[in-house]
Amino acid sequence: MTKVAVKKKIKRHGLSVIFVHWAVAISTFVLIFSGFGQMPLYKRYMVDHLPLLSWVTNYSVTLSIHYWAAAVLISAILYHVVFHGIRRDFDMVPRSGDMKESAQIIMAVFGYGKEPENDKYLAEQRLAYAFIGFSLLLLVLTGSIKVVKNLSHVNFSEGFMFWITQLHNAGTILIIIGIVVHLGAFIIKENWPLLPGIFTGKVDLEYARRRHSIWYNRVRGKKR
Amino acid sequence: MSDFSRREFMKRSAAAGVAGGVALTGFGKSAGASDIPQVGTMIDLTRCDGCKTLDVPACVSACREENRERFPEPIKDIPNYWPHKKKEDWSKKKGLTSRLTPYNWTFVQKADVEHNGKRYALNIPRRCMHCDNPPCANVCPFSVQYKTPEGPVVIDRDLCFGGAKCRDVCPWGIPARQAGVGIYLKIAPQLAGGGVMYKCDLCYSRVKAGREPACVEACPRNAIIFGEKEKMRALAHKRASEINGYIYGERENGGTSTFYVSPAPFEKIHAELMKQKTVQPNPNVPGFPGMPVDVENFTETANGIAWSMIVAPVAGIAAAAGAAYKTMKGGEKDD
Repeated sequence: MTKVAVKKKIKRHGLSVIFVHWAVAISTFVLIFSGFGQMPLYKRYMVDHLPLLSWVTNYSVTLSIHYWAAAVLISAILYHVVFHGIRRDFDMVPRSGDMKESAQIIMAVFGYGKEPENDKYLAEQRLAYAFIGFSLLLLVLTGSIKVVKNLSHVNFSEGFMFWITQLHNAGTILIIIGIVVHLGAFIIKENWPLLPGIFTGKVDLEYARRRHSIWYNRVRGKKR
Repeated sequence: MSDFSRREFMKRSAAAGVAGGVALTGFGKSAGASDIPQVGTMIDLTRCDGCKTLDVPACVSACREENRERFPEPIKDIPNYWPHKKKEDWSKKKGLTSRLTPYNWTFVQKADVEHNGKRYALNIPRRCMHCDNPPCANVCPFSVQYKTPEGPVVIDRDLCFGGAKCRDVCPWGIPARQAGVGIYLKIAPQLAGGGVMYKCDLCYSRVKAGREPACVEACPRNAIIFGEKEKMRALAHKRASEINGYIYGERENGGTSTFYVSPAPFEKIHAELMKQKTVQPNPNVPGFPGMPVDVENFTETANGIAWSMIVAPVAGIAAAAGAAYKTMKGGEKDD
């Protein structure tokens, strides 16, 4: 009988974090898809000819989906802010020196220099969080104004709405860049052990000890 | 964490709630102010005879003359809307006055309808209704179409990309597209954009100068009355009660600035217009609008959902506060 070595795990995320991550991820993908549906692109490029996608050129349907997904996104963002605000969990908030540290991590991945000791999140993860967070807040704020503008008897000035719309469109480009960079980070093999964490909440204990030593030692210290 | 007190929890909840609420604040009503009250028109179908002695109705000729300088001048080799092998080019049909085109922003439809044993040969001037909550302006992807404080709905032709979404969401399909002109030519003419959308702006520059729109001024029978919107509404009601008639444009699309008064019901007029549309040279091309009664505003469904955007976040905050309290009280660190 062969013994299978079971790798020890350490808890990295609670249910709230996993819930918020996936609520934000799924609603953001739906928002991007339905948002592009608000432009006359799908008809021109015949996306509606693809199987099961005949509805994508119906502006009313894509707008309704956009609104529902926005409600989910706003709920998840507020859940995140309130949950971590009350708990004072600010592990993902960027710190001074994160830019330099990010550069060191990237260089180390390619074999130049030594990677610095990391806390629960890598410096580049904290920066990515700030970038994606900013993009989402920009989209929520400008999108909320667009929703109010669509109500009867509400009429904002021409210049105001023009710039709100341009900011909303710019926010869309920023969030797409953020997602591409976020997912692109997993091309690097060194980051693969982080993946199970966002599904199960746990990561490999040995990986945590080796790469996230500051966090690992803090958690172990508390447990003793 | 287990010694975490209820008072501390309340304090942090309040602080986090304020921070979270930031995403939902920061907007206020900022419609541009104007000295001119909202304007509108009343179109009396008992008066309009379509200028039967003229080849082209006077309102149509006046509109064309007034806006001639603003008509599109497309480039010579207009690209197709790739990957399709087509484009909307009306530049060779500039003289067409029997429908809406980028070169003809108003026209007169004819409808023979029977009502209560009488036949009515109606002439119906058609153009943008200048809606109260215009979906064309609301959903423009670049917000280059807007409702002015005075009421007319205006397209910024310098920035319009010509995607024609405004036409798709307009219950009457009013805006008309001309390819080969506009800002899209400077960006990616082969891949995105389709030209510029054109429609009646109620002669906005004249309105701002305190003048009547050209069509109103030209009408020889005072069939199109222009003035303060609420006065036009009252006038429409007065006229409708005098002739025991019907009003169109007051409720349609959530309300408009154009009030038609007819001795025959608009359901019958709409049916007749739809019959005529089927025999147009190309029945599927917009520019020959019907008069659907009580037609709903495009944003109506979405506006119903908008309330969920207030309710759902409140639920999110409450759930977060509950989850945070539970995990902290139990001494659980979310690491």
